Amino acid sequence: MIEIMPGLDSAASALQAGKTRMEVIGQNIANANTTRTDAGGPYQRQMVRFETYLKDQMGVNPSSSSQLVRVSEILSDQRPPREIYHPGHPDANDAGIVQYPNVRVHEEMADLISSSRAMEANLAIIRTARSMALQTLNIGRA
Amino acid sequence: MIDGLFASANYEGVKKMLDASVLRQEAISSNIANVETPHYQRIDVNSTFGAELKRAIASNNFGDVNGVQPRIEVDREAVAQNRDGNSVQLEKELINLQKNMIAHQLQTQMITGKLTKIRKAITGI
Repeated sequence: MIEIMPGLDSAASALQAGKTRMEVIGQNIANANTTRTDAGGPYQRQMVRFETYLKDQMGVNPSSSSQLVRVSEILSDQRPPREIYHPGHPDANDAGIVQYPNVRVHEEMADLISSSRAMEANLAIIRTARSMALQTLNIGRA
Repeated sequence: MIDGLFASANYEGVKKMLDASVLRQEAISSNIANVETPHYQRIDVNSTFGAELKRAIASNNFGDVNGVQPRIEVDREAVAQNRDGNSVQLEKELINLQKNMIAHQLQTQMITGKLTKIRKAITGI
């Protein structure tokens, strides 16, 4: 079946996935200087992984061709922590070295901007889908 | 019986083009949604659709036009621009989006024109 507003579900899924990504970026920036976590050691930078999936895999509407996106998993960045000489810090080791998270704020800002651009592109889809639906409803009216 | 009123190759052709516009909108929105998914291959309406429809309309045979069906397929010609294997280029997709919207507008107007003409022929106003 062809929907009245084509492409809406792909855009919606992308906005959802984009929101999760933004949350993870916010979490990374907030914890850029967290030296102690429940797991022990400094905070580890988190990353999202996107994956494509087909709408209606349950077979409700197998003729649809929309490819949706979702966050398949959230992974930890395995790069080593930053080591800074900071004697007197409560988390410093015997040599006075403190392990800071492997978060680089510049990287996070760049990711944030590209994420925000992707969101804008998806909103453009929603706008055009809306105007196409209005057009379609006006067929036959002089 | 009333089908005879609409059985023209041109009118059927416009309807097929409208179907293709809606499908293309779905394809573009899938591409934009997956702009950052690794190894995603962009999809589009099959590239042969335009030529097939043109040939069918030129033959002026209603049945031929009716048989042409747009469908979505993976665009094999698009190549990935960077190492994540994703072949979507956001700018191109946004341009296609605008083009598709204008095409859709044109097609709905053509259908409206045809319907208006028929109505005029029936009622005289």
